[in-house]
Amino acid sequence: MSIADSSVQPDLSPVLGDGGQAEAGPAPGISAWALAVRRLRRNKAALLFGALFVVLVALALAAPLWAQVADTTPARNHLSDTVVVDGKTEQVVTFDGVPIAPTWHKKFFLGADQNGRDVAVRLLYGARNSLFIGLTAAIITAFLAVLLGMLAGYFRGWTDAIISRSLDIMWAFPVLLLGVALGVSLALGGLKIGPLQIQGGSLWIPTLIIGVVSVVYLARPIRGQVLSLREKEFVEAARAQGAGPVKIMFSELLPNLASTILVFFPLLVANAILLEAALSFLGAGVQPPEPSWGTMLSDGVVLLSTAPHLTIVPGLMLVLTVLALNVFGDGVRDALDPRAKVRLEH
Amino acid sequence: MSRTLRGLACLSLACAAMFGLAACGGDDDNSASTSTGGTAATDAGGKTGGTIKTAYTSFPDYLDPALSYTQEGWQSLWTVYTPLLTYKHAEGAEGATIVPGLAEDMPDISADGKTYKLKLRTGLKYSDGTAVKASDFEHAIKRVLNLESGGASFYSGIVGAEKYIKDGKAQADIPGIVTDDATGDITINLTKPDGRFPYILTMVFASLVPGDTPFKNMTKDPPPGVGPYKFDNVRINRGYDLVKVPSFKVTDQQVGKLDTISVQIIKNRRRQTQDTIQNKVDYMNDPPAPDQLRDVRAQYTDKRYKEFVTNSTYYYFLNHRVAPFDKPEVRQAVNYAVDKRSLARLFGGLLEPGCNFLPPGMKGYQKVDPCPWGDPTAAPDVAKAKALIKQAGVAGDSVTVFGNDEPESKSLAEYLSDVLNEIGLKAKPRIVEASVYFTTVGNQKTKAQAGFANWFQDFPHPGNFFFLVDGKSIQETNNQNFGNVDDPDINAIFNKADQNADIDAVAGDYARADKLLVERAHVVPYGHRKLTVFYSDRMDFDDCTVWHPVYNLDFTNLCLK
Repeated sequence: MSIADSSVQPDLSPVLGDGGQAEAGPAPGISAWALAVRRLRRNKAALLFGALFVVLVALALAAPLWAQVADTTPARNHLSDTVVVDGKTEQVVTFDGVPIAPTWHKKFFLGADQNGRDVAVRLLYGARNSLFIGLTAAIITAFLAVLLGMLAGYFRGWTDAIISRSLDIMWAFPVLLLGVALGVSLALGGLKIGPLQIQGGSLWIPTLIIGVVSVVYLARPIRGQVLSLREKEFVEAARAQGAGPVKIMFSELLPNLASTILVFFPLLVANAILLEAALSFLGAGVQPPEPSWGTMLSDGVVLLSTAPHLTIVPGLMLVLTVLALNVFGDGVRDALDPRAKVRLEH
Repeated sequence: MSRTLRGLACLSLACAAMFGLAACGGDDDNSASTSTGGTAATDAGGKTGGTIKTAYTSFPDYLDPALSYTQEGWQSLWTVYTPLLTYKHAEGAEGATIVPGLAEDMPDISADGKTYKLKLRTGLKYSDGTAVKASDFEHAIKRVLNLESGGASFYSGIVGAEKYIKDGKAQADIPGIVTDDATGDITINLTKPDGRFPYILTMVFASLVPGDTPFKNMTKDPPPGVGPYKFDNVRINRGYDLVKVPSFKVTDQQVGKLDTISVQIIKNRRRQTQDTIQNKVDYMNDPPAPDQLRDVRAQYTDKRYKEFVTNSTYYYFLNHRVAPFDKPEVRQAVNYAVDKRSLARLFGGLLEPGCNFLPPGMKGYQKVDPCPWGDPTAAPDVAKAKALIKQAGVAGDSVTVFGNDEPESKSLAEYLSDVLNEIGLKAKPRIVEASVYFTTVGNQKTKAQAGFANWFQDFPHPGNFFFLVDGKSIQETNNQNFGNVDDPDINAIFNKADQNADIDAVAGDYARADKLLVERAHVVPYGHRKLTVFYSDRMDFDDCTVWHPVYNLDFTNLCLK
């Protein structure tokens, strides 16, 4: 992926009103952030997809409730069971291995997979895992990227050289291959670094991997912005008042980076969810028995003709989630700086 | 036999019955590559000539007879190389009959069972015209031992073999093999009697190759052999050709019908299935892709498609050295809880549910009826399983169930985890990459508690299965007895039976050992694999399909309509 434009700042230019006339602005007492919120509220598409994302999160949180309704768990196999659909008794999985299609009833609402597991229940639990990994990985990425970007941009010199070259080396690796290599090697034995010990099947393994490999996408724009901000008068003034580097970075620079972080964050979450699905599809991400959209896609591919619901359902959820985050992220960008052209290219 | 599921290694069919030692007598004729005098080589009928294309999912592990240990490898190698003893090219019990290959006659076995005497046929030539010598047999065995082949353990019972391995000198002598190139005499001395040894002499490992064949992997440029076909156009990971050797005429040995069998590697099974349906591929070695199996069955059964039960066993191992499976009640609970009908579904119906450890086609098989853990075709007794777990005091104990990332194995591991959770344990699956799976669970340091396992026969002898549960075969690494089963009563039965070359006399003993193994819940066997034949429309399905109990589809019998 490449970053097209790394500079995003809240835009204080007048907002066009409904009649197309430029409003007088900013009005007294209205902050730049309030203005951004106002722009966002006018962006119906962003709001719609933002609401869609909220609905998806709500569904994921409701997974245990649905599992109770369906009277099953995400790992429960029902290979030899039967289910009554519209008065007719059907096998959950036929003797030649074909799972039941969506019944649109509480049991096997979206059908079953080849192990006889309820697809709807696994989908919702998979959403929990995918969203957990996506959000947490994005937070890790943001934290590390801001830290490294600020250090590189503020101190420059050897610090910048070391950090920037390290990021360049990471940038040179295809992200997916790097993720697969790390995922496969850590999946069995887990991660042990000093006091930090994580078991092989833990969700934290793919979370940390995705969080770390995605740092380059935000660290470089942050660094660029810090290089520009450090020359501003308010930074000079802070130095003149005796403020040290740490205080300047966290009190003066970080607040000015907030809008950049906010614009990138939804896109980082979307990217992390996609990367997790790809790693899980390849067997290097979420490990069984934990469900994930990526593992569901991988399991469903072998039955593409006879049980297409196994790939369509998780695929659709993945598309909707990533689309919702991308459109909402675009809306946030437009609200903060309508002239910015930030996008993540694949 | 290699357990790789990739390409679904399979070596047997229902080879139920008699091990008959067929005498080969007669004189051979005087053509090149023939033994002296006797009747002409066998051509079993059907149209001859033509070229076909076959599809494999993966390239054979090796095309070197000393090294190959997979179904894909052996299926081709059997047509290129002939050992001193071999099998008839027939189905069922007849196909499991050992007959002389490059030897004139069956071995003369001493009374103590430790000395085997054979005589090489005269006038034999390799496919490149080189004369075959008796000393080539010792050279072939040296290559197996020196190259640390997977088959080395089969020949370590020859006097001096272990020292030969330990010394590591390729050209050193193996004192237990004495050959005379002038007379063609070959004498093999064993350290102890082994009733399986005639079968071990039939294995591809023991195929003769020229005495100057290097001590290295010859897959890229396989050495010449004595057989109906020879290798040509070997392209690693892409394919190779089997080209008919017109001069091959060894008495009573099958000659090939087709001129060329072109093996192509097509990794995608869906594509293989489509190509076979569309007659772009004439035979696919693996079963059709899971989501096409139903349609193939419906449209082509008995016209171009057929299923065969193999001499294989699929089972879960339970590690006797690691809690909670060190307790017999816990192992019994697992046997009660596993639903074999469910497991058959995971194979798309390509699994014959069963209670025994030995497969139905194996000598010594006697169906354990009634099955102590319930009818394999009925629902399991989960309540009983739960009660046993409580009784053993292990409710809530953590268990890791190992499987590999091949589709069936992964599903099997997830299934067993769910079953163990249902009966009161706390289980989760751990999926390991297929290429390192067996070395991982076979390493004692892993302490693998339970997991997927399977075995396809190397040769049609029950001893080949019982070594998987023999206490003597337990090793620290590369252990094949994954459950560390070591039952003195069962060991005593089959170890004694293994020494007897008359398998009919000891078939009952093997049946007893099998029954005890099942009753004492040392393993959880659940069925025997079915494999398939799927042809293009060009192939003569009715007259030229011979499913050999050891080597699967017999390439020498394939023919076009």
